[in-house]
Amino acid sequence: MNGSSDLGQLHATMQAIEFACSSIQINVNPAAAEATILSLCQSPRPYQACQFIIENSQMANARFQAATAIRDAAIREWSFLSPDEKKSLISFCLSYVMKHASSPEGYVLSKISSVAAQLMKRGWLEFTAAERDGFFSEIKLAIVGNHGLDVQFTGINFLESLVSEFSPSTSSALGLPREFHEQCRKSLEQDYLKNFYCWAVEAAQSVTAQITNSDAAVSEARVCATALRFMLQVLNWDFSNSSRVVKNSIDVFSFVAKEDSNSSYTLVQPGPSWRDILITSGHIGWLLGLYGVLREKFSSKAYWIDCPLAVSARKLIVQLCSLTGTVFPSGKYFSLESYAGVSQGNHLVQLLSGIIEWVHPPDAMAKAIECGRSESELLDGCRGLLSIAAVTNPVSFDDLLKHIRPFGTISILSALMCEVVKDLMTKDMEEEPWSWVARDILLDTWTTLLTETNGSGVKSLLPPEGINAAANLFALIVESELKAASASEEKEEYFQASVAAMDERLSSYALIARAAIDVTIPFLTRLFSERFARLHQGNGINDPTTTMEELYSLLLITGHVLADEGEGETPLIPVAIETRFPEHMETEKHPVVVLSWSIIKFAEQSLDPNMRAAFFSPRLMEAIIWFLARWSSTYLMTVGEMQSCKNSIDEVTLLRMQNSRKALLSFSAEHTQGKTLLEIIVRISLTTLISYAGEKDLQDLTCHQLLGGVVRRKNICAHLVTLDSWRELAHCFTNDRVLFSLHASHQRSLAQTLILSASGIKNSVEANQYIRDLTSHMTAYLNDISGKKDIKSICQQPDVILGVTCLLERLRGASSASEPRTQKAIYEMGFSVMQPILKFLEVYKDEAAVVYLLLKVVVDWVEGQIIYLEPHETALVIDFCMHLLQLYSSHNIGKISVSVSSSLQSEANAEKYRDLRALLQLLQKLCTKDMVDVSSAAIDDQQTSISQVIYVGVHIVSPLITIDMLKYPKLCYDHFALLSHMLEVYPEMIPKLNHEAFSHISGTLDFGLHHQDEEIVGMCLRSLSALALYHYKERGGGRDGLGPHATTYKDANGNLQDGILSRFLRSLMQLILFEDYSMDLVGGAADALFPLILCDHDLYQRLGNELVERQPNSVLKTRMASALHSLTTSDDLSPSADRLNMRKFRKNLNRFLIDVRGFLRII
Amino acid sequence: MSDEEHQFESKADAGASKTFPQQAGTIRKSGYIVIKNRACKVVEVSTSKTGKHGHAKCHFVAIDIFNGKKLEDIVPSSHNCDVPHVNRTDYQLIDISEDGFVSLLTESGDTKDDLKLPTDDALLKQISVIWLNG
Repeated sequence: MNGSSDLGQLHATMQAIEFACSSIQINVNPAAAEATILSLCQSPRPYQACQFIIENSQMANARFQAATAIRDAAIREWSFLSPDEKKSLISFCLSYVMKHASSPEGYVLSKISSVAAQLMKRGWLEFTAAERDGFFSEIKLAIVGNHGLDVQFTGINFLESLVSEFSPSTSSALGLPREFHEQCRKSLEQDYLKNFYCWAVEAAQSVTAQITNSDAAVSEARVCATALRFMLQVLNWDFSNSSRVVKNSIDVFSFVAKEDSNSSYTLVQPGPSWRDILITSGHIGWLLGLYGVLREKFSSKAYWIDCPLAVSARKLIVQLCSLTGTVFPSGKYFSLESYAGVSQGNHLVQLLSGIIEWVHPPDAMAKAIECGRSESELLDGCRGLLSIAAVTNPVSFDDLLKHIRPFGTISILSALMCEVVKDLMTKDMEEEPWSWVARDILLDTWTTLLTETNGSGVKSLLPPEGINAAANLFALIVESELKAASASEEKEEYFQASVAAMDERLSSYALIARAAIDVTIPFLTRLFSERFARLHQGNGINDPTTTMEELYSLLLITGHVLADEGEGETPLIPVAIETRFPEHMETEKHPVVVLSWSIIKFAEQSLDPNMRAAFFSPRLMEAIIWFLARWSSTYLMTVGEMQSCKNSIDEVTLLRMQNSRKALLSFSAEHTQGKTLLEIIVRISLTTLISYAGEKDLQDLTCHQLLGGVVRRKNICAHLVTLDSWRELAHCFTNDRVLFSLHASHQRSLAQTLILSASGIKNSVEANQYIRDLTSHMTAYLNDISGKKDIKSICQQPDVILGVTCLLERLRGASSASEPRTQKAIYEMGFSVMQPILKFLEVYKDEAAVVYLLLKVVVDWVEGQIIYLEPHETALVIDFCMHLLQLYSSHNIGKISVSVSSSLQSEANAEKYRDLRALLQLLQKLCTKDMVDVSSAAIDDQQTSISQVIYVGVHIVSPLITIDMLKYPKLCYDHFALLSHMLEVYPEMIPKLNHEAFSHISGTLDFGLHHQDEEIVGMCLRSLSALALYHYKERGGGRDGLGPHATTYKDANGNLQDGILSRFLRSLMQLILFEDYSMDLVGGAADALFPLILCDHDLYQRLGNELVERQPNSVLKTRMASALHSLTTSDDLSPSADRLNMRKFRKNLNRFLIDVRGFLRII
Repeated sequence: MSDEEHQFESKADAGASKTFPQQAGTIRKSGYIVIKNRACKVVEVSTSKTGKHGHAKCHFVAIDIFNGKKLEDIVPSSHNCDVPHVNRTDYQLIDISEDGFVSLLTESGDTKDDLKLPTDDALLKQISVIWLNG
C-alpha cells in the first residue's frame, strides 16, 4: 500500500476493507475483520488507499473506516508529512464533504469533517494565517449559502466539530502537551471565533423568511437549527479573559461569589470585542421575533415545542441571559434614554420580554402541562430566570419585569414556584414529574438570588413585595413538606433517608424563610405548638406517628432556618436573624428565643421514661439531637460582635439591632441560662446513649455532632466539667457496662470527647488527674487480664474479647485527644499498657480484628505523643514499636491459610492489608519525630537515630509486603510514600541495608514505575532521583556511594547483573520513550533521569547508540542522534546535578520527547 | 511451620458454655456469631429500620467457618445473639504420609494422625515444599 502502487492494488485494498466492514456488520468472524481494518490504520502512509476508498466505495461503512485510518495515520506520522501533504489531506476532506453534502449517510460526512477539524488543529500552529484563511474562505462561502442548503448545513457542521476540537474540555487526544491545546484555544478565540459566530448568524438570518412563510417544516429549518446550536456552542466557550475582567471591574453585580455555588448556569463573559455582534447587532431581537412568530403559528401543534429549531432557539435565548462582564459598556446598568439597547439592563429586559411568554400565567401553564402540553418550554423559562438571577441582585432582578408588566420578576418567580409545589403535592415522586425538575431549577434561582454576596447586607435583600412573596412561598413549602411527611408515613419501606440527605433542598428553603424571617419564625413556632398540643391530647389513644413525622420534618426545617452548618468552624448567627428583629429588646419575647425554648422544652420531655416510650422514637430523637447540635454550635454561650454590614444604616437602627441581638444571646449566655441549657443537652445525650441501645444512627449523631461540637469550644468546656450531668456521663463511661454496647467508632469518639473536655479545667495538675481517673479503668482492666495465668484460654471467650476490644477502642479515642497540656497523662496511659499490648498481640494473633485494633492503638498513640517525648521516653517508645513489629512479623510471615471458603480467604487478605497499612503508618508517624520535636532535649543528645529505626522497621515490614499486597491501592500508596520519604531524607542508610532488603526495595520500585496510578509513579521517580543523586554526590566526594548495590555483580547462575542504577537507567529510558504515561510525569522523570545519566554515563552512551542504530533509515538516524545530542547539551547544560541544571534538563527532556516519541512509537 | 484446625463441638445443640450472649449491635465485621446453630464468621453487618419510627435491626452476612457456606440473619439490634467460643489450636507438622494424611504434634506432646492434607493442589504443593525445605 504505497504511494506508487497501481490502481489494481487500491482496488484490492478497497475490497478487503469493504469485505471486513460487511462481515463485521453480519458478525462473521469479527476478529479477523477488525484486524484487517486495524492493519489499514496502522500501515505507513495509507492516505492514497484511504482517499481511494472514500471516493469510490459504495459502502458507507468502509468510507467511515477509511476516514478513521486517515486520522490515525496522519496524527501519528504528522512530523514526517511535508507541508503540502498536510494541506492536501485537509482540503481533500473538506472538499469531499462539500461535494457530497447531500449524501444521505450523515455519519460519514460528520466523521470526515471531524477528521478535517482534528488535522487542522494538529497543524494549526504550523500554518500561516494565509493558509488558514484559505481553508476558511471556502467554509464561509458555504455557510452564507452560496451553494445551497445542504452545503450550508455541512459548513456549520464542520465549524461545530472544529470549535469542539479547540475547546480543551471536548478536544480529542493528539498526544501533545497541554500547552499545545491551550495555544490553539487562544489563537482560535482571538482570531476566528467571532467571525464564525457572525457567519452562523448570517446563515440563520438568510433562511428566516422561508421558515416563517412556510406552513410545514422545511429543510431551511434544519440549517437554522444547526446555526443556532452552533451559536450556543460558541457562547459556551470558556472565554479566557473572563475571570480577570470580572475581578477588576467595579460592577454593581458582584457575581464573583456566586460563581462558587454549584448551580447549573455558567456565566458568559466574552469581553468588549464581542459587543458589536452580540449586543448592538440586534440579532437578539431577530431571534426573539423568530421564536415568537413560529410559536404563534404552530400554537395548535403540540409537537413543535420539542422540535430541534425550537429547542435550540430557547437554549440560545437562555444562554444569552447569562451574558455579562465587559461585553456591556461599563457605567450605567440601566439607561433607557441614552444608549437604548446597549446596557445590561436593557438587554435583560429584552430577553425577559420573550421568556415571560413561556411561563406566564403560571397557573394556566401548569394546567396546560397537566393536559398534555410539553413542559420543556416552561422548564426553559425557569432556566432563563435562573440565568438572569445569576447576573443581577434581588432588587434589580425584581425591577426588570416592571418595565414591561405591572408586577415584578419576584412575583412571577414565587407564583411559578407555588404552582410547582402544588403540583408536587399531588404527584408520586417515583415518576419524576416535571414539577420535580422545575422545583430544583427554581430553588436554585432563589438560592442564587438570596445567597449573601459581599456587598449586600441588611435592607437590600428583597423589596417589600418580594418579602411577602417569600413568606407565602415558605408557608406553602412547609405545608407541602408536612403533607409529604404524613403521607409517606404509611409506606413500609424505609430508605435510610438520613438527616443529611435532604440538606441541600432544606438549606434553599431556609434561604427563602430568612428572606421573610420576621414572619416565618412566629409561623414555625405556631406549627410546633400545634403539634406538641396534638401529641399530648392524643396521649395513648391515637396513633402519634403522623405527628411525630411532621415534627421530624419541622425540626429539620427549623434547624436550617435558625442556624448554618459550621463544617468544623464556629458558624455565625445568620445575618437576617441578627438584623431583622430590631423591635424585640426583651429576651423572653424574642421570636427566636420563643421558638428555641419551645423545642428544647419538648426535647427535655424525652428524659421521662414514659414519655420516651410513648413519643420519642429513635427517628424523632435523631432530629432532636441534630437540631440541638446545630442550635448549640450557633447560639449556646456565644460571644463576639455582630457581623459588620457594609450597607449604611442609621445609628439608631444599628443600636436597636445590637440590642436585639444582645437580647437574643442573653437567652443562652454563660451568665444566664446557658449552663441550664447545657445541662439539659448533656442529659438528653446520656439518655440517647443508654436508653436507645443499638440505634447506631442516633448515637452517631450524639457522639460526633452534638458532643463533639460542644467540646470544640473552650468556654463551653469550662462549664461542662462542672456539670453534674457531665460527671454522670463520665461515671457511666468508666463503670457502666451498658456503654460497652456502643459501636466501635462511638466508643472512640466518646472517649475522645470526655478527654478533650479536660481543656476546661484551668489547673493542669487537676486536668491530668481528671484524665487519669477517666482512663484508669481501661489500663487496669487490660493489665489485669493480660496478667492472668490462664490468659490463653480466657482470652478466647467472646465476652472477654468484647471487653478488650471496647477498651482498646477507648484507648484509641483517648490517644487521639492528646493536647500539650494533658500529654503527660496520655503518655502514662499508653506507657502502662505497653506490656499488655504485646501480650495481647501474642494471644490474639488469630483474631484479626483485635490485632488490627492493637496496631491502630499504637499508631494513634505514637502519633499524638511522638513530638513531645524526651529522649529516654523516645527510646522506650521506639523499643516498644520495634518489639511490636518483630512480634507481628514473626506471627505472620509465610503464613498460609487453608480456609475452604474463598470469601473467607479474601477476607483474610483484606485483614492482612489493613494490618500492614497500620504498620506503615506507624513507621511514618515515627518519622515525624525528625521533623517536629518539641521536647526539651537539645538536638545533640538525641540518643536514638530515627533513620536507624526506620530502616530496622523497613527490614521487618518489607518482606511482608508482597507484590500481591501492593494491589491494594491505599497500601500501595502508603508504601511508596514511606519509601520515597525514606530515600529522600535518609539516603545514607541505603548502603547499610542487607542485600535482601535492598533488592526488595528495588523490586517494588520497579513495580511502582509501571503502576497505572500517576501519583505512585511520581513517588517512585522521586525515590529514584534521590537514590541516584545520593550516589552521584557521594562518588563526587570520593566515597563509596551505594557501594555494592550499584556495581555489577554475578548472580547465583553466574550471569553478570547490572548494578541497580544502571538497571533503572535502562528501564526508565524504556518507559519514557516507548510506554504510555501521563505527560505530567515528564518533570519527575527528568529529575530521576538526569542523575542516573550522570552516574553511569557510559551505559547512557551505549543506550543512545543502540537507539540510533535501531532506526530503519538514515533520516531517522540523524534525527535521533541530533535529538539525543541536544538532550544533554542544549541550553548550556553542564554535567553536574545542581538545581539550575536539573531545571534545564527538564526543559530539554520535554523537547526531546515531543521530538522523537512520535516516530519511535510507530516503529 | 504450623497448620491450623478449628474445633467447635457444639454443632447440634449450642451448649451454654460454648456460646455467650452478646447484644446484636455490638457484633462487628470479622467477629463470630451463631446462625442456625452453626459457628460463623461475620463478613458483613448492616443496619436497617422497620418502619419510620421503629427500632434498628442488624442484618448479618456470615460464613460458616467449617464448610464455608454463606448464612444470613436479621436481629433487632438491642437483642442478644449467641456468639460461639472459637478455639484455635496450633499443631506442629511432623510428617506427611504417602496416603495424604499428616502427622501432627500437639502441644501436650501427643501426635494426631487423623487429618488429611487439603485438597487444593497449589496449597498442597506449597505445604510440601515448605515441609521438604524444613
